[in-house]
Amino acid sequence: MTGERTFQKFKRLIPKKAFLLWLDSLKKDYKLIGPTKTGRHAVFKEVDSSKELFMEYETTMLSPGKLFLYKPNEELFRFAMNGKITIDEIAPIAEKQIITGVHPCDVNAILYLDRTFLRTFKDPHYEARRKNTLIISLNCARVSENCFCSSVGAGPFLHAAGGYDMLLTNFESEYLVEIKSREAEELFGLEGRGAGQDEMRFKAEKEKSMHGKFKKNINVSGLDNIFAENMEHHIWQQTAEEKCLSCANCVMVCPTCFCYDLRDEMSMDLKTVTRYRCFDACQDMKFAEVHGGNFRQRRAARLRQFVTHKLGQTNQYGVLGTVGCGRCITWCPTGIDLTEITKEIQKFKVKS
Amino acid sequence: MKNPLTPIKAIIKDIRPEAEGVKTYTLSTEFSFVAEPGQFNMIGYPGVGEAPISLSAIMQVGDSTLRDGSFKHTIKSVGRVTDFLKDFKKGDELFFRGPYGRGWPVKKAEKRDVLIIAGGLGLAPLRPVIHLILNSRESFGDVSLIYGARNEKNMLFMDEFKIWEKDISLYITVDEVSDVSKSPHPPFTKEWSGGINVGLVTDLLDRVKIKPERVIAFVCGPEIMMRFICRGLMMHGMSQSSLYVSLERRMKCGIAQCGHCQHSGLFVCKDGPVFSYKEVRGLPDGVL
Repeated sequence: MTGERTFQKFKRLIPKKAFLLWLDSLKKDYKLIGPTKTGRHAVFKEVDSSKELFMEYETTMLSPGKLFLYKPNEELFRFAMNGKITIDEIAPIAEKQIITGVHPCDVNAILYLDRTFLRTFKDPHYEARRKNTLIISLNCARVSENCFCSSVGAGPFLHAAGGYDMLLTNFESEYLVEIKSREAEELFGLEGRGAGQDEMRFKAEKEKSMHGKFKKNINVSGLDNIFAENMEHHIWQQTAEEKCLSCANCVMVCPTCFCYDLRDEMSMDLKTVTRYRCFDACQDMKFAEVHGGNFRQRRAARLRQFVTHKLGQTNQYGVLGTVGCGRCITWCPTGIDLTEITKEIQKFKVKS
Repeated sequence: MKNPLTPIKAIIKDIRPEAEGVKTYTLSTEFSFVAEPGQFNMIGYPGVGEAPISLSAIMQVGDSTLRDGSFKHTIKSVGRVTDFLKDFKKGDELFFRGPYGRGWPVKKAEKRDVLIIAGGLGLAPLRPVIHLILNSRESFGDVSLIYGARNEKNMLFMDEFKIWEKDISLYITVDEVSDVSKSPHPPFTKEWSGGINVGLVTDLLDRVKIKPERVIAFVCGPEIMMRFICRGLMMHGMSQSSLYVSLERRMKCGIAQCGHCQHSGLFVCKDGPVFSYKEVRGLPDGVL
């Protein structure tokens, strides 16, 4: 975690090989996590050596934040059911880890998860992992088919003020390394060559050229109101009827979706109950069900909840709920595209 | 660090049947539990789960009934957790965590007329407000309780009505009379025995003197009832911002994380459950 004290921010150009060797040197104190190539896909996982890293990846199915910080499944308590019930709280495991090669969208997604788990009520498991995780972001050099981060200010280059440790930009055989936290400063011993105005100008040009490569763009201004005024727009019902399966793939791959369920599991000898937390999805029929009714009985209402939570409802955290990673579009089995739904509604707005 | 989801053990001090399928549980724990009217606890049991239940009585300054720091929940068995609770006995242990949420704005109600309007179980989260008003009656103007239940078997806290009506005006109604021989002839909203009317709770709005600029209304009941009560009160000249409603949603955490209670960007557990009507009127996936 960053930003507590002032430190010397610096920018250096480091040969990629040297950088990767530096990562390997940290293996003795940190778990090293990064993008790897698995078949046709890239996957974030723990590696034994930087040789396994696939830093040129475009996108992954699952975001590093929802694999290594906010876990899909987390044991919270064990209740011993021997007459008088006692509670064993499961202590957070604070293993030191480095996640490298995190694209700007996924860093922004982690900052979004921070709003859920580190505000009024802190989640001790998330907090412990967050404190013990060094995040090395990598500015994007490629644009995937469904990326729209440039439209929502979450990429392709990272501009977040803090909450991560280092930022890399691809400079041919070198990385432009920008140190963003004290911990990273203390760890990073490589000298390389200092990056000056020329290099920063070159970086800005790279970013500018990236912006032109996006196939998906969306205008997010005033979306809160546009959605609010079109809650019964036919596109919701139509998409729900013709395409949506309520499979919740969109939610599962979304790096900002934070909803969870609490479940109890009793041991076979009936002596222990384990309460654990696991991802839950607003697309599930029972998600908003109460006695005597369901606030989102209709599939259209559930689809609308997902889309408006990503692109509207900024009253919740003061920021958009999407980072434009496009995973929900990529992994929707019937090709539902929240940017297309939004455009359809915006078209209607212009007409009316 | 303490996990905010850690439940706390409570002992059931007393259980009393309240209405059909409804019981009031008096709970106490190792510390003196303090809450505000309108807040709720997550009540649960290992292996069964947890459910959000509003507090129907809490320790308040000047309250003689619950000085020991105990608290009450009035619970109808309707789901997995509440069904499980119905077989509990005095002395049994259960678990809770809380209090959670934003309750009724009782400070805002001081020096004003107060309309308390409840339907069915909706009287439970309003009872702490009534207790608070009775304890410092001089701080409030005219206070009226309008309460409707399906029939007299479903009516909560009837034994307290006699105490309440000394200080506040009661308007009680049932949708139907369970004992037909006692039923009055139509038209509805006629007085039945014991000062109970027959008809919908909305019918009683015309019976109460409402001075729109002086009054604040606290409404709790089924969402469809709250919709028509709020719209009815607005026809009496009240503004949306002096109407307050308490919403019910599915909740798993109570601490604005699990997402189940989200209502157009609001967390009902943290931002509510009590909202001004202005905040929640017309939102999608609700009927207000």
